[in-house]
Amino acid sequence: MTKDILRISNLRKSFGSVTALKNASFSVGEGEVVALLGDNGAGKSTLIKVISGVYRADSGEIAVNGAVVDIRSTRDAMALGIETIHQDSSLAPDLSIARNLFLGREPVTMGWLGPFAPINQVELREAARTLMQRVGISKRLNADAPVSTLSGGERQSIAISRAMQFAAKLIILDEPTNNLGVEETHGVLRFVREMKAAGHSILFITHNIHHVFQVADRAVIMRRGEVVADLPLAGSDVLKVEGLIMGVDLKAEPAHG
Amino acid sequence: MSDTPKPGLAALIKVPQYASLVLLVIVLGTFAALNGDFLSPLNVSNMLAFLPELGIIALGMTLLLTAGEFDLSVGATFGLVPVVVMLLVQNAGVDLGLALVIGLAICVLIGLINGLIVTKIGISSFLVTLSMLMIIRGAALYITQGFPLASWDQPGIFVTLLAGDFYIGPFRVYASIFWFAVLSGLAGYLLNRAKIGNWISAIGSNRNAAVARGVPADKVKVWLFVLTSVLAGLAGMISAFRISTASPVAGTGYELEVIAMVVVGGTALNGGRGTILGTVVGALMLRGIRNGIVLIGVPGLAYNIFVGAVILGMLMLHAALQNSGRKG
Ligand SMILES: Nc1ncnc2c1ncn2[C@@H]1O[C@H](COP(=O)(O)OP(=O)(O)OP(=O)(O)O)[C@@H](O)[C@H]1O
Ligand SMILES: [Mg+2]
Repeated sequence: MTKDILRISNLRKSFGSVTALKNASFSVGEGEVVALLGDNGAGKSTLIKVISGVYRADSGEIAVNGAVVDIRSTRDAMALGIETIHQDSSLAPDLSIARNLFLGREPVTMGWLGPFAPINQVELREAARTLMQRVGISKRLNADAPVSTLSGGERQSIAISRAMQFAAKLIILDEPTNNLGVEETHGVLRFVREMKAAGHSILFITHNIHHVFQVADRAVIMRRGEVVADLPLAGSDVLKVEGLIMGVDLKAEPAHG
Repeated sequence: MSDTPKPGLAALIKVPQYASLVLLVIVLGTFAALNGDFLSPLNVSNMLAFLPELGIIALGMTLLLTAGEFDLSVGATFGLVPVVVMLLVQNAGVDLGLALVIGLAICVLIGLINGLIVTKIGISSFLVTLSMLMIIRGAALYITQGFPLASWDQPGIFVTLLAGDFYIGPFRVYASIFWFAVLSGLAGYLLNRAKIGNWISAIGSNRNAAVARGVPADKVKVWLFVLTSVLAGLAGMISAFRISTASPVAGTGYELEVIAMVVVGGTALNGGRGTILGTVVGALMLRGIRNGIVLIGVPGLAYNIFVGAVILGMLMLHAALQNSGRKG
């Protein structure tokens, strides 16, 4: 048994009368890729927003590295080594690529000035270039260009390269292959494998079941705010997983055409 | 942005603040050509005397707009603070220094209330600050019973610091212009160079993205509201000292004029993109237009028509440049 990087128990979150998260429990092991699956509105994004500090759970428990933690803000989550790429755009379109890459963690000189410290422009540009080289987008894109001039796929690549830089223990990706072309999609899947190889844990949300089988070790399935299944993917198949997502046994039904 | 080096005049004109700068030169040149007195020492001194009062408020408004909020209560704050300070000094015998500290505290309070209601309760800044405008203006009228007060007319350290004047050659220069210059430099540094500037732009551009990166968006907004109120109060004091009057209706309509200065300079009304250089240019432009239009003989009552038309033209120009920049 590997050690758990993340363990959540009985998380609950409502928005007014809507209970988005009822009874969510599962864990992510060290170096493991876990796919979080479920139909639209199942509560996947809400769950990862709780883990990444965007929302606070109404009740339940989150443990990181075996210790129960209180994640009150996105800062807390980042300090615990959790990096998240959200489904809704996580970039500021009016800022340059470089400034987006380091948003909230700008390299500064005279750090004692706190938020009033001057950004170290040279370091910012250097670091941005190195990072973009690693993701293979440095040739096409200028680090000083505003993000508003990029395509959807290019933006996704920027968001992913941002998650790479801080060597987080756990990287959460909410539908990262949405709106991506074939090549970019493969880039994301390659990124997931590389991060796993480097020892990071990954929580990966997607509606594409084939991607799940390509990169994930285990699937956690949610329905109406609850975790309804948690199974290793080795020895499982597409039909079984799809059936669990929909809550029907597809194999029991007579096969069509 | 200042850190995108692009040579060539054509490319430069596409940057909103430089486009405004070119227009400023054209506007001032036109007035100078139409009336020789426009650039006379007396007239230039006059224009520069008024400039800092709205300009200082415009600096705070630029940062606030860049973060995606705005403040309609600045004109009322501009009126209230001097009135309170003078009542304390004249009727309650409070020391001027202490009265100014109380005035400052009132500004901080107004900013905090605006900022906390906008961020914590989630009401739009338009509605919150519009209500605040009425409350503050009402308070100023009530405590003065509607009458203007004689302001501090004794010389003293505060008057000299805020509204003192001296001559450089034939030009009469007010101390307030130095405040405006220093504060412009500071605001420009904050927005373009400092970490906080990156946060301000990010909050206005995509608040959720900024929050997801650990930027304390609400806190930044609250402090920007406070800063804007404090600058409005400072401008009010400068004005009251300069004309030795504290009127409860001073600053009426300034909120819109200040917002006009800011957007004419090239700051986006819906947040994300702000320029302090543009705001300084916008402040010069609006003051120049108001002054020049009177000088070339447009009847006083008609001149708002021209000011409005010029602002509209400027905004259309910015929009056109913005679109061509996106295609190009
Ligand atoms: N901020 C919010 N306010 C109110 N209701 C919300 C909010 N966020 C989510 N919900 C509701 O909670 C439920 C779960 O939403 P969530 O975004 O977590 O689903 P999801 O599993 O990510 O779906 P998808 O696959 O479509 O992205 C939905 O019914 C949604 O309408
Ligand atoms: Mg979702």
